[in-house]
Amino acid sequence: MKEIKKMLVLAITLVTMITMAVSCQKPVPEPEPEPEPEVLKDYNFDLFVCAVKHGGMSQNKNGTYVRSVPALTADQPRVEFTGKGIDITQNYTLESIVRGKYYYQVPQKATGGFVKFHIERNAAGDESIVEDAEVPFKDNVYSARKYTHAWLNDSTTLVVVGTSDKATKVIWSKLNESNLAIQSEGTFDITLPEGYGSFSTTGLLTYRKSDGKLYYFYFAKPAAGMSDAAKSQTYIAVIDPSTMKVESNTAVPNAVMEETAGSAYGELMQNMIMYDEADNLYVAGLITVSGQEMGILRRIPVGSRTFDASWNGFPNPEGKLLTVQYLGNGKVLSYSRDESLGTKIDSKSHFYSIINLANSSRERVKFNGQDLPYCGGRFSQRSAVANGKAYIGIGGEVEGEAEANYPTIYIYDCRTGVVEKGVELSKGFCFDIIRAMDVK
Amino acid sequence: MSIRYRLLVSLVLLGLCFPLFGQDSLSVKGTLGDTLVLSNATVTAKSREQQLREGAFAVGALNIRLQASTLQSLTSAIDRTAGIRIREEGGVGSDFDLSINGMSGNSIRYFLDGMPLDAKGTGMTLANLPVNIIDRVEIYKGVIPASFGSDALGGAVNIITNRSSRNYLDFSYGIGSFHTHKADFSAQYIGKKTGLVFKPVLSANYSKNDYLMRDVKVRNADRTAFIVTDLPRFHDAYLSLFGQLEAGVQDRGWADAFFVSASVSKIDKEIQTGATQDRVIGMAERNTQSLNVAARYEKADFLTEGMQFQASVSHTWDHSQTIDTTYRRYYWDGTYINGGYSEIRSRGKTLRQYRRPLTVVRSNLAYRLAEGHELALNYLLNRAGNRQTDTWDSDFVPTDDVLAKHIVSLSYDQSLMDGRMNNALFVKDYVNHLTVGQSELPSTTGSDKVRGSNTQNYVGYGIGSRYLFLDPLAVKASLEHSIRLPISREVLGNGSTVYPNLALKPEISDNFNLGLFGTFDLGGGHSISYEANGFIRLVDNYIRATVTETESMMQYVNVDAVHIKGVDGEIRYDWAGKLHVAANVSYDDSRDMRKYTQSGDISVTYRNRTPNRPWTYCNAEVSYTFHNVGLRDSRLRLTADYQYVHWFYLTWAAYGSASTKSKVPTQHITNASLLYSWQGGRYNVSLECTNLLDALAFDNYMLQKPGRAFFLKFRLFL
Repeated sequence: MKEIKKMLVLAITLVTMITMAVSCQKPVPEPEPEPEPEVLKDYNFDLFVCAVKHGGMSQNKNGTYVRSVPALTADQPRVEFTGKGIDITQNYTLESIVRGKYYYQVPQKATGGFVKFHIERNAAGDESIVEDAEVPFKDNVYSARKYTHAWLNDSTTLVVVGTSDKATKVIWSKLNESNLAIQSEGTFDITLPEGYGSFSTTGLLTYRKSDGKLYYFYFAKPAAGMSDAAKSQTYIAVIDPSTMKVESNTAVPNAVMEETAGSAYGELMQNMIMYDEADNLYVAGLITVSGQEMGILRRIPVGSRTFDASWNGFPNPEGKLLTVQYLGNGKVLSYSRDESLGTKIDSKSHFYSIINLANSSRERVKFNGQDLPYCGGRFSQRSAVANGKAYIGIGGEVEGEAEANYPTIYIYDCRTGVVEKGVELSKGFCFDIIRAMDVK
Repeated sequence: MSIRYRLLVSLVLLGLCFPLFGQDSLSVKGTLGDTLVLSNATVTAKSREQQLREGAFAVGALNIRLQASTLQSLTSAIDRTAGIRIREEGGVGSDFDLSINGMSGNSIRYFLDGMPLDAKGTGMTLANLPVNIIDRVEIYKGVIPASFGSDALGGAVNIITNRSSRNYLDFSYGIGSFHTHKADFSAQYIGKKTGLVFKPVLSANYSKNDYLMRDVKVRNADRTAFIVTDLPRFHDAYLSLFGQLEAGVQDRGWADAFFVSASVSKIDKEIQTGATQDRVIGMAERNTQSLNVAARYEKADFLTEGMQFQASVSHTWDHSQTIDTTYRRYYWDGTYINGGYSEIRSRGKTLRQYRRPLTVVRSNLAYRLAEGHELALNYLLNRAGNRQTDTWDSDFVPTDDVLAKHIVSLSYDQSLMDGRMNNALFVKDYVNHLTVGQSELPSTTGSDKVRGSNTQNYVGYGIGSRYLFLDPLAVKASLEHSIRLPISREVLGNGSTVYPNLALKPEISDNFNLGLFGTFDLGGGHSISYEANGFIRLVDNYIRATVTETESMMQYVNVDAVHIKGVDGEIRYDWAGKLHVAANVSYDDSRDMRKYTQSGDISVTYRNRTPNRPWTYCNAEVSYTFHNVGLRDSRLRLTADYQYVHWFYLTWAAYGSASTKSKVPTQHITNASLLYSWQGGRYNVSLECTNLLDALAFDNYMLQKPGRAFFLKFRLFL
């Protein structure tokens, strides 16, 4: 028994000594988990420019040209359009649904259907458009650039939504991604509220993964053609994508949002909807402040179907909020307008900022300590996010100078916030879109 | 009432009128004599052409009387003139644009005996004006004499009607491919006792225009994919009816001529496509009805010897409607989907009514200071209203716009060195008054920028000189600082496929012309004549037609500055009035000279060639006339002509790789005709084949034109 006691005391002593010895040592760090290798996708960048005036919303009547380039870094040759690129003016619209390497749209050439195409580049670097599929409309008819969209079923199904009958009905069509075959069509059970004459031309559609629902943001206005946000009534319709039935249709108080952005052409050109890692849903919109329409950024928290009225990601706006793109880690790239510097489409009053969603603060994007210049292009989407970088296009315009500079792309590192200069484009064009095309 | 029924009624009316005037024709029998007169008139007309060519201005002249028995419409004859290009959108009755030395169609003014052609109604154009009533056509290139009192910029087309002082009756009927029918009747009766002159005119044109469209997309049998095929047009019928009665006196002490006239016109037109043929339309229509009353007065030695006075006044009630009341999306096989947008405007349904009253007052007072020196004062008022209502769209707010132009010009003409040198100087004052009431689609039409009234004043001036060295060599030069006020179609739209642009500014141009011309008489009935012209047009606020995205609607916009330089030349060979060979070639180079964009940047289109316009084209024609073939006093004329139009881009040439750019391809069009006349031209039968080789022909924005077509015409001239 004594032997057992001795051994027990010895053991306790040893354990105590070892424990004390270990606790006095510098802690050995746990081996850090191997960082997940960043999966860099293989992107091409399609750059859209317009002659004379900025494009979008039927504003350009002077020509739209596209170049497709493999990279946008400064070591790339200047992107030229003289005798280069694709002239899409007659056949396709600037506005398009884009996924992977493909474009999906109701084309400019008005053939009475949908078309899917991609841009190919040959060994000499010359681009051409290859049409992959074209189908006629079935029962629902859409006009070029007047529709909104969302992707379902791991992006194998495309949902297109538009309005008809003088924007008094909201129609939808489901298309097979690969061959554009129209799977089903219908009209949403959404009726105009009393006292209103028409819906927004398209509204905004998005699919939320966390609850598997389609969210359709739209508004009613007193009469077709009227544009006065203060008199509009915005709604959020939540739709079951399997049945396309409207599950809920909630009016948004005007104090929260009067109109969404992009109500006339969805997200065919500009990004107004985004999600963060938690699947909170953010929507850019408008609200009237002192008689002037100003931008606002609202959030529908995950699990909710309505805006969090207490949260605004774009306080004290200088003007309209035009595009938002989520960069990760609570950072957002925004493109907005300073109304005091001009409200025309070509006014050099548009600028880029980084919004911190945590505290709703924002700061102009800078290069070498200087704000990136103001640009023209109310309907431009000159920024794309790919492989952890945000590519930000700046038009060649410089306020007060007649001679344009070369339009330039700046590259923002989403993790470090460092901005470097990228490739230049030939001078004089109105630089309107950068699209990052996943060409795998 | 169906179009076909209305055509039938009009033909019956023509038939009823025919015996009435046949009676009168008996009183002027001695038709051989008349025929000889006609032949003489031909010589006289040629002389007028020569006189025009020898004037101080750059002029092309066409003798239409010689071609009246074969021509379907004036446009085809004018299109073969050097420096002239007509771009049609389709078949019979389609809209067209005429350009003279590179200036677009709307920079050109059209006159009927010196009065704006618009006064006959907005639907009356070169394309449907009865050919039989026309004596000749004068085409002024660039600089236009002040006597027109007009604001034309690129040139003017003046149609001179038959001014014969004898009684006559002229009837023709033609039938052609694509269910085309044309009937024209005109006559003149001079009362022996009263001296009263009556000139009735009736005309009817109808075509189904169901020509084949090639390589168009339609849905397959289960409507899940497109297939490409050839199909006839199915909604492009056109009917035009025109009637006019002019009555007056001639050669009285108080008037050399005093006439009053009343005319009515009716145009029904189905619309088949938008501005591009991908937009297929199957129900929409545009209909126009017009009533015009007019008076004209002419007097030489007015008030005092050497003073000449001409005055015309005209008022037109013009009512057109555009029916766009179907939410359908058509395909070329005539099938459709019940869509959510109207056919033309891709918006809500509309039944838009346009009432465009037009008042034109024109006066010219000329005084001969001395032999070879004349001073003239001209005044032109052109007031066009534009009242719009909509009997379908209750949201439409009725509008009332007014576009009024006052143009006063003073000119001085001199003839020196026994007529070897002619000079003309002029100055013009243009006042443009626009009252805008409409507010629809402000971002598109600019109605928010020009609400209310505004008046603008402009001054233009010019000079023209001609010196005749020898018959084979003469030189002429002219220059003008001219203003072209936008026409109502450009400012106010056409109610269907053209949007208004209420903020459109006038075109201002400096025009320079230098020309050589002459005739070589080689003896033995052989003669060669030629003319060569160089021109420069420096245009500010150039008005250009564009197609707006998505809606396939057209709209006229200002391009800040355009410079056009070019040359055209024509050579004609004639042998004893039997063999006639002519060829012409035209080249112009139109460049966008707007250096800065609105935001102050250098424009990428600066110095670029203006897109969507032909810039090299040529024509060649050969005809041979056999006399006394088969019947006595008969004539058989065989004619062949060829037109070449070089391809051109629809967008700016410099940008985008050539393989990706849309262009209108090169056109090679060959036509042939046969005319047989007997009894000195009293009876005429012609057979014409247009587009003999059935080539694929395009014009504006790839709108296909008809393929091979035949037209058989019978004409009786008493």
